[in-house]
Amino acid sequence: MLRYARLYWLFLIQRLKILMEYRLNFFIGAFSFLAMQSVGLVGVWAIMRQVPSLNGWSFNELLFIYGLITLAKSMNHMFADNLWTLGQSYIRTGGFDRFMVRPINPLFHLLADRFCHDGIGELVVGGVLVGYTSRALGIPWTLANFLYLLLAVLTGSVIFVALNLFTATSAFWIVESVPVTLVVFNTHEFAYYPLTMYHRFIQVAMTWLIPYGFASFYPASYLLGREVGVMAWVGTLVAGVLLLLAYQVWKFGLQHYSSTGS
Amino acid sequence: MHAIQTENLTKIFTVNQKDPGLRGAVKALFRPSRKQVLAVDRVSLSVEPGEIVGYIGVNGAGKSTTIKMLTGVLMPTSGSVRVLGRDPHRQRVANAREIGVVFGQRTQLWWDLALIESLNLIAGIYDIPPKRYRELLERFSEMLELKELLKTPIRNMSLGQKMRSELAAALIHEPKVLFLDEPTIGLDLIVKERIRQFIREHNQQYGTTVILTTHDLGDIEELCQRVMIIDKGGMIYDGPLATIRQRFGRERTLTFEVHPRHLGDLRQHAERMQLPQGARVEAQNGGSSGGRLVVRFDRTLTSASQVAASLMGQVEVVDFSLSEPDLASIVRQIYGGALENGNGKEGKV
Repeated sequence: MLRYARLYWLFLIQRLKILMEYRLNFFIGAFSFLAMQSVGLVGVWAIMRQVPSLNGWSFNELLFIYGLITLAKSMNHMFADNLWTLGQSYIRTGGFDRFMVRPINPLFHLLADRFCHDGIGELVVGGVLVGYTSRALGIPWTLANFLYLLLAVLTGSVIFVALNLFTATSAFWIVESVPVTLVVFNTHEFAYYPLTMYHRFIQVAMTWLIPYGFASFYPASYLLGREVGVMAWVGTLVAGVLLLLAYQVWKFGLQHYSSTGS
Repeated sequence: MHAIQTENLTKIFTVNQKDPGLRGAVKALFRPSRKQVLAVDRVSLSVEPGEIVGYIGVNGAGKSTTIKMLTGVLMPTSGSVRVLGRDPHRQRVANAREIGVVFGQRTQLWWDLALIESLNLIAGIYDIPPKRYRELLERFSEMLELKELLKTPIRNMSLGQKMRSELAAALIHEPKVLFLDEPTIGLDLIVKERIRQFIREHNQQYGTTVILTTHDLGDIEELCQRVMIIDKGGMIYDGPLATIRQRFGRERTLTFEVHPRHLGDLRQHAERMQLPQGARVEAQNGGSSGGRLVVRFDRTLTSASQVAASLMGQVEVVDFSLSEPDLASIVRQIYGGALENGNGKEGKV
């Protein structure tokens, strides 16, 4: 574990050196995702101008949900973005062979190979939103609440990573895994809003099937003092199980890796 | 213990087949037709520690697939494989510590990083003790002349510089077995020579076992005492290089470019050609600039000058060239041993 942490640090330093070399690219990347987030926020704002509260949720409360899931998403974006490129950049080119002949976990190697700076913009937006709205909404930042927030972001990140891992693994069979990943990934947009405003079917799906609800709605409800009961804590368990399952599927996929010609 | 041992090693790929055109693509979408391809067919081999073995075959013969099973990249469909006593796929991590791999066509270094930084990362991956790492780095910089290149990003290197860097990267953790997949592909003669020399020296100094796949018979001649030839997935020869040279290295090919006025009746010329014992017209073809006659002859029965003189007496020759036997012709001859009687019978390839 310690060895992997040290190794990740080594990879990260080298990656940052490369990013600094392409400085302009770095700022464009970090900034463009900041801009994209802002556009998303304008959407929420436009809705809330028409209706002061959505299903009993105020504008600030919606922003709080939005901020929470954006934090989780940014973690996935920074540390696990390479899952998107597995098919295109590693399997199609045969570059994945290199991971297989080195004495470290190939999944770790894949993730460590590219820290993605584009997620920094999202981290900033998420952090600002959660900071601002928690103040406006009077959420007390006790140690317990703070630790819960960390756990919630971690849980949310794991859900993002696990789902992407599921879909990315399909690259071992079909190579081009981006469309599949995109379809599943995009459902996270449901979780920008309180799940209670959706049809029962979507609520269940976003809780037990593609559980992005645990990245936003449930922890937000808990921190806002709304009644969610045990669902405030189930998410972490769900995320853990999901990640374990995804990792088993990944290992199965590795056995089906057939490399490329020559 | 053998360094490498396989028994009936087999790999079957399932590939999706597609008819050409949009129609084929649509059809493949709804009714994919799958085909089983036998890439490696019951290969049994063993290699002793310290050997340098050439593993050769034409494109698509199954060389790389075998190497990928030996290095743990691919899981065999059936049969067994042991490298230093381990199963390379099931015990992938333990195996990876003991082997070094150079895939000649793709780099294991980071494109944008300076060589030294790539090597530092690799040292981290293999957990090489810092002191040992510094010693080895010093030695490889010397032997492979990498001193000036350490600060250069890989993307700015020439092919030869890249290959020298690859070798350093593959050996920096002192592997006991080294797999080289086409290490000299695309390199010029001088660089090839230097790389061969390095491999030879490294093998002698450290007793590293080397498996070398190549198209280049020069690599084999200079490095290997033993050769394994694979074709269509199966092993067709495993033995000393000397035998190959004796049995199959006797053949040479002369290619003549004949004057355009022979173009019309090139075929008749080819068929009626009188040549010395041991020589035969292998192929003929006409082109806009003239015709071409390919003559194969056995060096022990006749000579290039006899063949050339005899042919030049019958047609007007504009130009000609002599070539050494290539791998494809050796493979052909191994099969041909049964198919052709080889006493001057004319055949088209």
